[in-house]
Amino acid sequence: MNYFIIGDEDTVLGFELAGVSGASVDSISEAETAFTSALEDRNNGIIIITEGAADLIRDKVDQYLFSAAFPLIVEIPGSGGAKAGHKDLRTLVNEAIGIKL
Amino acid sequence: MKQNVAPTRSNLLKLKDELKFAELGYELLDQKRNILVIELLTLVDQAVEYEAKVNASLGTAYAALRNSVLEMGKLKVGNLTGAVNVENQIKLKERRVMGVKLPVVQTEFVDSGPYFSPLETSFLVEEALDSFKESLKLMGRLAELKVSIMRLALEVKKTIRKVNALDKIAIPDLKESLEFTVSRLEEAERENFILMKMVKNRLEKKKEDM
Repeated sequence: MNYFIIGDEDTVLGFELAGVSGASVDSISEAETAFTSALEDRNNGIIIITEGAADLIRDKVDQYLFSAAFPLIVEIPGSGGAKAGHKDLRTLVNEAIGIKL
Repeated sequence: MKQNVAPTRSNLLKLKDELKFAELGYELLDQKRNILVIELLTLVDQAVEYEAKVNASLGTAYAALRNSVLEMGKLKVGNLTGAVNVENQIKLKERRVMGVKLPVVQTEFVDSGPYFSPLETSFLVEEALDSFKESLKLMGRLAELKVSIMRLALEVKKTIRKVNALDKIAIPDLKESLEFTVSRLEEAERENFILMKMVKNRLEKKKEDM
């Protein structure tokens, strides 16, 4: 199984250097098609998505992150650096499950 | 619950057994919940740590990439990606905590460097490549942790619901019907006793009259 990267042009370029195939997206429709096709490909074990790209299709990503088992999804800061106001894991778990940790 | 039970001795025995069973179940589920929560907490701590590591590693990777693009131009770097022959393999295994399946991710690289001629390429490209590989490895682990956390948290939620249902509803209900049955049985016994006394008194009166 492989990694797959969805993100801005620079991020995708960087990961391609490390042998990861990917799709660079700029608009919502591009992000949607890239995300769906990445999910459909059984070869993708882990999908890496930049914050910027994930924000474009936030609903879909969140829904997938919490419900489906496979493939695994990791969100990373894009090449522009981490965005301010990024929720950390604890709050994410709290929101999703409703358990205080 | 109270109304559904006929106050008989066999029901009393049944209720006692059920109560014992419910209490045993409560104890076990409570233990399960504690173990899951401890596991969850360690995983969250690890995940937070790994997130920081990934971010730091990505930071250096992006910086190296920017530098190499500055030095060689985006087009050339883009062309180099075609030359790089690194294959990453993810191996997924599974481990189980209290019946919850958690993934274990192992990332392996099959690479056969050097990938490109050092002539007219900057060493910065190498640096970027290495740091991206490093972050990929960390990311595999981060993905494993995140998914494990989600699954464990769901299981904890379920377990908490079960524990609460037993603790707040099932066990008090059973105790109530048990009490009700016991008191009704005692009442019936007393009634019977009085009845017997009365019959005895009457019989004795008859004897005296004769």
